[in-house]
Amino acid sequence: MTVPAPLSHAEIEELLGAYALDAVDPGTAAVVEEHLDGCVRCAAEVAQHHEVAGLMANSGGAPPTALWDGIAGRLGGTSDDSWDRLAARLDVPDDGAARGGGDVVPLDQSRRRSRRVTAGAGLVAAAAAAVALTLGVQVDHLHSQVSALQAAPQLSGAERAALAARGTERITLTDPSRPGAHATPATIVLTASGTGFVVNDRGDGLAPLASDRTYQLWGVVGSRTISLGLLGTHPGIVPFSVAGSPGVTTFAITDEVAGGVVKSANQPVAVGTVQV
Amino acid sequence: MDVEQSSDANLVVAVGRWYEPALAEVYRRHGGAVHALARRILRSDPPAEEVTQEVFLDLWRNPEKFDAQRGTLRSFLLARTHGKSVDVVRSEEARKRREERTTRETATAAYDIDREVWDMTVAEQVKDALGALPDDLRRPIELAYFGGRTYQEVAVMLDQPEGTIKSRIRSGLGRLRVTLMERGVEPAGAGL
Repeated sequence: MTVPAPLSHAEIEELLGAYALDAVDPGTAAVVEEHLDGCVRCAAEVAQHHEVAGLMANSGGAPPTALWDGIAGRLGGTSDDSWDRLAARLDVPDDGAARGGGDVVPLDQSRRRSRRVTAGAGLVAAAAAAVALTLGVQVDHLHSQVSALQAAPQLSGAERAALAARGTERITLTDPSRPGAHATPATIVLTASGTGFVVNDRGDGLAPLASDRTYQLWGVVGSRTISLGLLGTHPGIVPFSVAGSPGVTTFAITDEVAGGVVKSANQPVAVGTVQV
Repeated sequence: MDVEQSSDANLVVAVGRWYEPALAEVYRRHGGAVHALARRILRSDPPAEEVTQEVFLDLWRNPEKFDAQRGTLRSFLLARTHGKSVDVVRSEEARKRREERTTRETATAAYDIDREVWDMTVAEQVKDALGALPDDLRRPIELAYFGGRTYQEVAVMLDQPEGTIKSRIRSGLGRLRVTLMERGVEPAGAGL
């Protein structure tokens, strides 16, 4: 591949049509793409050319069904990096939309929304400290235990891939109001890259809430308690991300009004501490 | 969510949340066009099917690459389809085969490509708009887009300077766009 000489704006403009039709060599394409990153006008022109090309190609017709089977069978090959990028978008309160059960917001609206809501440190930190003192910390490395969770039908291929990643841990959440209780309300699976899942697939886990309530996930980072997202009224397996706030030492789940709260005044229904 | 009632943009958001029915709906809406374009460029089913699968798997893995501000989902998917198809066409083996028959094919390419374009283009208005373009604008576009040629290759095939072909592709696309807009043709797959 030859490296083209630097091109002027006018020279790149002349290439836009050919570029949009993939009719330039890779080196020239790279030069054009670099220019497009900083030139709104040229980027808009390429978008217009793509629309015209799309119209030329638009033959419609029904897609081959067998091809979809092939696509669906390969969805599990998603990379963990890709999952991380997407999971970063999941930390907005979505009340179950992550599982396809709620409204879907446009991409840019999702990006504009606040990533996390900071709450007071006292409530959950105190509860977590109490749990740590009285019940001890229950943290299990997955290894052989991950297989049962991976087999859960609700998990997509991407989630299964994340679970299989090295360094993934499971944090068992306990009910602080029922010290010593055998049943665990929920489990958190946390990958080394900061992607996590709240798992409530047990019959004796988090009970379904009324429609005007929601479970809310919190994380304690140092002296701060941050909201990690809404889990909905009856969460099954809900992904979240702490990639932007590493160092979460404690997770807690509270029962809140629908829409969630900035600062909780309720006792956690489940708390678990991450092994240092 | 009711995927059948969702806009293309919202489907992509749901795809970003690993909601497989959303990807299935995207495939239902646009899979036919994607496969037809790949088939048209590659002229063979196995590689066209592979390209089609890769296009939808790419959307599954990297939905953030689709920017609704930049155009419709269909044009995005078709652009990805075209790029992947052209990559296959330009693979070293294909290049060698093409070089061996360049002289012979140059004489017949216009007929073959014309026939394929007209046989497989469904939208009559698009066909009319393409047909209304002067030959010197239309031929470079067809050879580049449906033939997977670089503009330099098109220049050789049509015995024209590279700069001329480059300009004609650009101006031809611009003319085509204006004509389509005048006829009220909206971009394909604008969503619900």
